[in-house]
Amino acid sequence: MSSVVQYLLAGLGIGGIYALVALGFHIMWSSAKAVNFAHGDTLMLGAVLTIVFLDFGLPMSVAIALAIGVSVIFGVVLERVAIRPFAAQARSIGWMLTTIAIGIMLESYATISFGAFARPLPSPLAEKPVIILGAGVFPQELLIPLAAVAIVGLLYFFQRRTQLGRAMRAVAFNREAAGIVGINVTRIAMISFALASALGGLSGILVAPVIQASATMGLLLGIKGFAVAIIGGITSAPGVVIAGLLYGVIEKFVDGYISTAAREAVGFSIVILVLMIWPQGLFGRKEIVKV
Amino acid sequence: MQNVNRLLLVGAMAMAHSLGGGAASADEANACIGNSGPVTGPAAFGGKAIRMGAELAVEDINAAGGVLGQELEFIQYDDAGAPPRGVDNVRRIGLADNCVAMIGGYHSTVALAQRDPIHEIGMPYVGTIAANTKVIENGRDPNFMFRVSAKDRWVTKFLVAEGIKRSENNAIGIMYENTGWGKGAYPDLQNALREQGLEEVGAETFNWEDTDMTPQLIRLRDAGAEVVIMWGLDREGNQILRSLQKIDWSPVVIGAWGFAGNLGELAGDLANCALIMQTYSWMGELEPKAQALYERMQDSFDIESQEEIRMGSGVANAYDAVHIIAKAIEHAGSFDRAEVYEALFEVEHEGLVTNYSPAFERTEERHDAILPEAYKLTAWYGGKLLPFEQTPCE
Amino acid sequence: MMWLSRNLNWLFAVVAAVLILAMPDIAGNEYALRFYTLMLIYTILALGLNVLVGYTGLVSLGQAGLYAIGAYTAAILATRLGFGFVPCLILGMVFAGSFGILLAYPTVRVRGVYLAVVTIAFGIIVENIAIEWDSLTGSWVGISNVPKPTLLGLPLNHKMYFYIVGGCALAAFAVNVNIMNSRFGRAMLATSQSEIAAASLGINVTALRTLAFVLSAVTAGAAGVLYVFLNKYISPDIFSFSDSIRFLLMVILGGAGTTLGPVVGAGALSYLPELLQQFGEWQRFVYGALLAIVMFVLPRGIVGSAADILHRFFPAARRETDGDKRPLGEIVSIGPAGGEVCLEAKDLSLHFGGLAALNNVNAQLSSGEIHGLIGPNGAGKSTLLNAVSGIYRVNSGRVFFLGVDTTDMRSHQLARRGLARTFQNTELFQEMTVLDNVWAGFHSDYRTGLFGAILRLPSYRKEEEKHRRAALDLLNFVGLTDYAYEKAKSLPFGFQRKLEIARALAVRPKLLLLDEPAAGLTQSEIDDLRDLIIQLSDHGITIVVVEHHMELVMAISSQMTVLDYGEVIAKGTAAEVQEDPKVIEAYFGSPEMLAPPPEERLDDAEREP
Repeated sequence: MSSVVQYLLAGLGIGGIYALVALGFHIMWSSAKAVNFAHGDTLMLGAVLTIVFLDFGLPMSVAIALAIGVSVIFGVVLERVAIRPFAAQARSIGWMLTTIAIGIMLESYATISFGAFARPLPSPLAEKPVIILGAGVFPQELLIPLAAVAIVGLLYFFQRRTQLGRAMRAVAFNREAAGIVGINVTRIAMISFALASALGGLSGILVAPVIQASATMGLLLGIKGFAVAIIGGITSAPGVVIAGLLYGVIEKFVDGYISTAAREAVGFSIVILVLMIWPQGLFGRKEIVKV
Repeated sequence: MQNVNRLLLVGAMAMAHSLGGGAASADEANACIGNSGPVTGPAAFGGKAIRMGAELAVEDINAAGGVLGQELEFIQYDDAGAPPRGVDNVRRIGLADNCVAMIGGYHSTVALAQRDPIHEIGMPYVGTIAANTKVIENGRDPNFMFRVSAKDRWVTKFLVAEGIKRSENNAIGIMYENTGWGKGAYPDLQNALREQGLEEVGAETFNWEDTDMTPQLIRLRDAGAEVVIMWGLDREGNQILRSLQKIDWSPVVIGAWGFAGNLGELAGDLANCALIMQTYSWMGELEPKAQALYERMQDSFDIESQEEIRMGSGVANAYDAVHIIAKAIEHAGSFDRAEVYEALFEVEHEGLVTNYSPAFERTEERHDAILPEAYKLTAWYGGKLLPFEQTPCE
Repeated sequence: MMWLSRNLNWLFAVVAAVLILAMPDIAGNEYALRFYTLMLIYTILALGLNVLVGYTGLVSLGQAGLYAIGAYTAAILATRLGFGFVPCLILGMVFAGSFGILLAYPTVRVRGVYLAVVTIAFGIIVENIAIEWDSLTGSWVGISNVPKPTLLGLPLNHKMYFYIVGGCALAAFAVNVNIMNSRFGRAMLATSQSEIAAASLGINVTALRTLAFVLSAVTAGAAGVLYVFLNKYISPDIFSFSDSIRFLLMVILGGAGTTLGPVVGAGALSYLPELLQQFGEWQRFVYGALLAIVMFVLPRGIVGSAADILHRFFPAARRETDGDKRPLGEIVSIGPAGGEVCLEAKDLSLHFGGLAALNNVNAQLSSGEIHGLIGPNGAGKSTLLNAVSGIYRVNSGRVFFLGVDTTDMRSHQLARRGLARTFQNTELFQEMTVLDNVWAGFHSDYRTGLFGAILRLPSYRKEEEKHRRAALDLLNFVGLTDYAYEKAKSLPFGFQRKLEIARALAVRPKLLLLDEPAAGLTQSEIDDLRDLIIQLSDHGITIVVVEHHMELVMAISSQMTVLDYGEVIAKGTAAEVQEDPKVIEAYFGSPEMLAPPPEERLDDAEREP
């Protein structure tokens, strides 16, 4: 019994990480129909920079604020140079490869300057585990999925109650129509990337106490986060979070009851199966071709 | 048999000669020592350790007049931990650069893959970090694979012995990483236990970048393990320690030298008294010779404190390995690889890690230069990896 | 110039062949020769991937998985069962090819970036299995001791093996060029630019995508086998996600969709690591930076961008004239549809979410007539066209075309039965030439298959020439001869409309559906259009015109149907319809005008999940 709870809690912790990454993909996709394929590296940026700023002797709150600030600038610049010139192309290869290229540069630069080793990011919530029904878990691990759910709530509120949020929704609905009614679509895309990158940086800071910060932490998170966003239905914020949490829990149960070795094969087979049955993902909006 | 191989070797080189328009000479190689190691990627610190050790040795040698009157050169190529790139690099070092010998890299999978091309070319290879047993004990004759580093079969015996000392019921569990290195060590661990009349109570694997090991550890705990032998690297080691804390279990933890990097920094006090095997430690008070080398590292390689020497055993091993090769060349009196190979068995050397007397013998087992008696038990304590005796650990 | 660009591929092949022959003597040593062999292996792989990515427009981020399947098949067969080089090569290709079919299956439903994730997942699964199926693959340690390759019992030295790989690469190049310049290449390009338009020309999009996946899988498999016998060692490390990206890059860097691009890209990206070694720990950073720079500076790849520049300085010359002024009936044999009733819709209903876009629509079309379909914005006109032409599935009701129940047929099946159409917002193959747009329309008219095209059999050449003439004649018929070698996107809008009609004629339609053909045209263009429609009708083609331009539609239609809110509100001749009070109410003054325009409501509804 306690091991079931243990797998469930550990799975929610990891699933929460995937959900946070997937939410970033969702925000970018909604407004630009393109994403930063290397969004995992934005998490890395947030986590690594926080540690670097702490090394400079800055207090935690300042370090976090600065790290998120740099992440936002990174997102805006990336959207300008790597997404916008390619967004008009019918095929998605352009922005995929430019963002991957920038991800490679970021990761290798971090490896050189930050070092190849993982480093811890201290957090009061990741020092002592709490015991729930006989299973141990760090409060930080519980915070991550809760944060993902809370962000979906905030996003919902933001998109319905604020002028900017409504504009973003309109762009997500129909870019052309939004443009016609006077919404600056380009600006909305830029703001979305800024928002997604801020979320990315914040997510990195949230997960680093659990998984450690390192130059290479982004790659796998990025791939899995993207796969999760796609199977959840990248157009639906609650969808990607639910898919992320589910994926994390399934992984842990595969680890626990089948084998650690089978995890990726099982997980990605599920990804393919889900897409064969629901081509737009579990909660995605069906996009009808108009001709 | 040996003659046939020599013949094949000469034949291969003659063919390279006919293709290469004279780049490769049939008997004289160039005065260079090659290396294929991770220069990029997560294990780049391993490549750097080898480069530091090798370049310091080459500086020593050239300052003393080089080998056979020639300046010795060190060439390092990046394999990023990928065996196919490592195989490529062997051919580049052996065929394009025509080096007399090469020293080995960080990853055991790379080293295992390199055995074939090394023997195709017939170039002595001296390992410096990768510790997999079968890299050296490969059944070939002549066997061009040598090593100045740990050997997993001896390491596992060492760890099992230390584990048994600390276990009432001799209940030992194993956590090994799901890589070539981890999977290669698992049978050695089983054998080491069997020699003590034991069997592991459980064996579990984990992957790189895994963030939670509770399922595996729950199984080991429920199987009654008292000691966990860990075979992996720092980042995952930290996750093991944290998962142990989650399930509120504190067995004795003993690890291979993959945990000699920054486990203490990652895990803080959780790492206290995690026991780690090493061949060399740059921590604490250093002997004058080592102190001098450390100061040169500070000058040339961006090293500011002793903790910054990552994979310090690798620095020492590579330093010794290059000296041993140089002595073998001097002894052979030529850059002929076959003659250097023969001469390697004649070298005696007072090295950093140990006194090599002789460095190698003609049995397969003794193509490894560092004997288990020279292995050192260290322990993490207060964020530092100290010689065991300097810690309050049991 | 034209001669050069037409024969550039073969010129290149000859130069490459000479280089390959001379290479063993140029290469300084065995290491260099191995390196060139590897470069050729990557070239083979990139050529195959180009069929998928460049021609068919499908992104694969899992090509390393197929490469791995070829490589492991060969390594296992050679080391365990003692298979020789040739059987390994064949089986490796077959095995990888069958995984290509498996991978193609999701493309029936899964699109775009979703499909990219399927390929990523595939690559990761293969890698994971290679790592975990220890007893078969040797896990991380991999498989070594692969025997030296032999041919007909003779051992191959490095030089001979280099020649064999070189021969394979040349063959792959020739196949690539021949497919590109065939109906399959045109159909693939067409599919990648507008799937719906391609299907409306009778192109079976699913079959074509499967073909592209299989071709790319077979070449990846072959490359994997060749790699095994070159390196004599494999391990999972070379089949990772980043290798899939590298393979994709080879195609993109060189120029996706060009014949020479993959060769250039594979060469450049094989050589790059050698060059980057000098950057030490910075090499990955430089790799990323180079990649980014290339994408910014040469978004269409080295060869693609070079071709663009050349094209700017040497605009497409007319290769030869023209096409003859022949009557339509001679160009494409279009007989009048048999039977009285051409098309019949019975009780058609189609819902988007809660909103009925079509509600119990009944309509009949007599053979030979010009039928006007009108109604206010959002009345469901286009939806009705899409429903009868197989693009939308209806919720209930039946469609009969020439007396056959075609309700469940797909677009390309209907096209092959003689139903052609144009689109409201023109769905041309923008990047293809005007000629190729029409030529692609003849796709389902060919009798020779893939092998005929690859081997350039005489029967194939004859057919190819016949259809090219016909396409040129069709261009002449609509007056676009002068633009035959321009890209479709460069045409003025009015000409694009004409081109779309010419393309539809290539299907030899019995029924032609024109969706707002006059939208965006000038008055004189509309006059031309009217003449053209009447001319087509004179040839016996039944025509449906959806149109807002009342003057035009009233002038040409013999019968009309009026839709509003998805329902038929009036039928009859132009005069009868004009008098109908319901029609007047629908178009002019009615209180409903104050409600939001129906178009908007439909849009909302269509986006419901």
